[in-house]
Amino acid sequence: MKSINKLIIAISITVGATVTSCQKLNIPPTNIFTPDVIYSSEAGVKSFLATIYQNLPIEDFKYRPDQGFKTGSNDWENFYNSAGVTGEEVGPWGGVDIAGGFGYWPYGDIRNVNILISELPKHVATLTQPTVNALLGEAHFLRAYYYFGLAKRYGGVPLIKEPQDPAAPLSTLQVHRNKEQETWDFIGSELDLGYQMMPEASDAGRANKYAAIALKSRVMLYAACIAKYGSVNFVDGPARAAGLVGIPADQATKYFQAAYDAAKTLEGHYSLYNANSDKVQNYVDLFLKSGSPENIFIKQYSIANHTAHSWDATMSPRYMTANALSRSYPTLDLVQLWGNLSVTNDDGTPKRFDNRADLMQGLEPRLLATVYFPGATLRGLTFDMQRGIYPSFSGTAAAEVAKQPNSRSYVLAGDTKTLYQGRQIIGFTGPWTGGDELTRTGFYVRKYVDYNKPQAAVDLNRSEQPWIDLRYGEILLNRAEAAIELGNTTDALTSINQLRTRAGATLYSSIDLTKVRNERRMELAFENQYYWDLKRWRTADVVLDRAHFKGLMPYYVFNENKYIFLAEPELFNREYTFQKQFYYEGIPGGEIGKNPNLLPNNPNY
Amino acid sequence: MKKLISNFLVVAAILTISACTKTDNYDGPNASFQGNILSSAGGNLQTSSGSTQIKLQQIGWTTPQTIPSKFDGTFEDTKLFKSAYKVVPTNGAFWPVTDTIVVNIAQGTKHDFTVTPYIIIKNLTTSLSGTTLTIKYNITAPIAAGLPTIKDTQPYVNTTKLVGAGASIRDFSDVNSVTINKNFTDMSDADKSVTLTVPNLLPGRTFYVRVGVRLSDSFNSSNFSEIVQIDVPKS
Repeated sequence: MKSINKLIIAISITVGATVTSCQKLNIPPTNIFTPDVIYSSEAGVKSFLATIYQNLPIEDFKYRPDQGFKTGSNDWENFYNSAGVTGEEVGPWGGVDIAGGFGYWPYGDIRNVNILISELPKHVATLTQPTVNALLGEAHFLRAYYYFGLAKRYGGVPLIKEPQDPAAPLSTLQVHRNKEQETWDFIGSELDLGYQMMPEASDAGRANKYAAIALKSRVMLYAACIAKYGSVNFVDGPARAAGLVGIPADQATKYFQAAYDAAKTLEGHYSLYNANSDKVQNYVDLFLKSGSPENIFIKQYSIANHTAHSWDATMSPRYMTANALSRSYPTLDLVQLWGNLSVTNDDGTPKRFDNRADLMQGLEPRLLATVYFPGATLRGLTFDMQRGIYPSFSGTAAAEVAKQPNSRSYVLAGDTKTLYQGRQIIGFTGPWTGGDELTRTGFYVRKYVDYNKPQAAVDLNRSEQPWIDLRYGEILLNRAEAAIELGNTTDALTSINQLRTRAGATLYSSIDLTKVRNERRMELAFENQYYWDLKRWRTADVVLDRAHFKGLMPYYVFNENKYIFLAEPELFNREYTFQKQFYYEGIPGGEIGKNPNLLPNNPNY
Repeated sequence: MKKLISNFLVVAAILTISACTKTDNYDGPNASFQGNILSSAGGNLQTSSGSTQIKLQQIGWTTPQTIPSKFDGTFEDTKLFKSAYKVVPTNGAFWPVTDTIVVNIAQGTKHDFTVTPYIIIKNLTTSLSGTTLTIKYNITAPIAAGLPTIKDTQPYVNTTKLVGAGASIRDFSDVNSVTINKNFTDMSDADKSVTLTVPNLLPGRTFYVRVGVRLSDSFNSSNFSEIVQIDVPKS
């Protein structure tokens, strides 16, 4: 009886399960959002946009030029920045290790935007026409941003403007590259659409119409320089003959004018950050304070969402943080853009300083806000950079530096604990050659470093200050550069002097291209712009031609109880050479394998 | 139970051994390609590491591969797949070779390329006084018109016979570079007759020395002289 009961129970369970099982197979998958869910509300579209924004090629704190836009594990190594190969800094790179790029090929993201652009007009009824227009404008901006990330690396790329049907014949899916000029023109026209269709204001982190026109000023400057300088300094090859790389020189003026017009459009809508009358503090706060009238387009980070970056923990020495290490240090070459530091007397002997901090006297506030000098303080601790001790010092700085290391009379140490007659030989903050987690140049980065963060909180993936991707300061530089290239020196001088006023620098009475470019280097130092500037000016193979960079080494002179500073090769004395073929990256081999129509590859790849 | 396990193991072993017996029916990379890069002025083109290469484009394949030239202007690759290849010498200090040749590469294929160097270094003499080496030579060009700008000229000093760009001691080599930055046609006879000095060589050591002239072509490439052995006497 018992077994029959069991049997009945078993059968009824089986039958019950069988009968009910196959009923709901034909439902839409619940883990995939279908178009009608996404486009039924603005919030739905927003959630789709979030992915597109997330993947945008913004070269921020976490961008690693040889690996890409990093998220998740190992996204903390913020010292792998492009400044470390250009001589703005020296870093963990052994040379110009980033010129091969990382095979950036974001057609998956571009497809997302293309889907958005093709779907939105079908949902006017639910979303309303103004909303659809605004979102479409945003989509055009985003598509331009992705193509800009491609064009500045590869030149001409296939312009895919509609979502491709995966079932279409292979011949239509294997799209040929467009010419380089067509690619830049497309980006320009997309940004024009963005400017026309987007509203004036937006949530922080999202683009508004001015972000589109601001990006256009940058983009058009790239196109103009490629036309002007790329037609003089180039590597020849089939791709160049076909126009896939290179723009005719006679197009330059048109693009410079477009860059100028775009930059001028922003006048009156944004302004330089000037909230603090203390010029140093003001320039520091520009990169840290929210709501700055200078910020046009920013990228935000959040500890809660696991997107926080590690700038604070990786730009300052471990001495001033709770964890991690630094590996990337500003060079003396960068600092000397502001003029030579007064460290040598007229007779060539090193000046004697009572305090290291005296070096900072009379320097431009912007320089002091960009770089931490020996003697500066952070979180209550002093940057006590000291390379070693001279028991006594005689002669000129130049003669001393020219000596072989083993014939110099200094005392060095392998760690901070070693003492010379009771005095620490090297500083807690370096310089030190045993590794690269202490400065190799005598300087540390100050820009973007959050001085208010308590030391215990300065850890990996604990920094949330936004990356300012587009700021009015750059727009003024774009405007000045375009103006000087067009021969409008008056306008260039006005723009540059606006920046110099805010920087606390002496104003220029005249201007030329070199001054404009140097102002750009000073204002945008460490902002991942100079690498691309060197490329578009086609000067990278000249500036980075077996280049070595310098640091400024502080020493303590024991018998005088004074400090001296010697300009010496950075402690690893690495060499940086940029090959001419690097002005374009090669099309990724894997993509050529999938689509042979991408050939010919860029010259010399 | 033991028997069951051992039986099972035997079966498993047989299956493992008999699996994967199919052999690859494609030939391995057993073809080879070698030869000389000849200078139009006679002899092999003098090259250095990281410069002249033979670029091979296998017909029906998308990504090219390269064979780097050895220092004496020869090249050899013994691990190629048998096929037809488009081949061209590139990346060196010679007038660009535009027409690519198709070569059927099989076992032991040989081919020589002839190129016209940008610059030929003539009349190289060296003299040692104490630890200071003086090098004199003349810069000549087989074709002067349209030559890329001459950037600089410099000695290359190393302790092995592998000496050249990327294989030299910087303190003896790059730092003794002389900047020219002129077109060849604008150079005076004095400019073309160069004297370089390498001071402070180490006594009692043997060095291998050559000189190079660097041009601003697409590769910033250099023409090199032959290699000279310098024995610095013990002081």
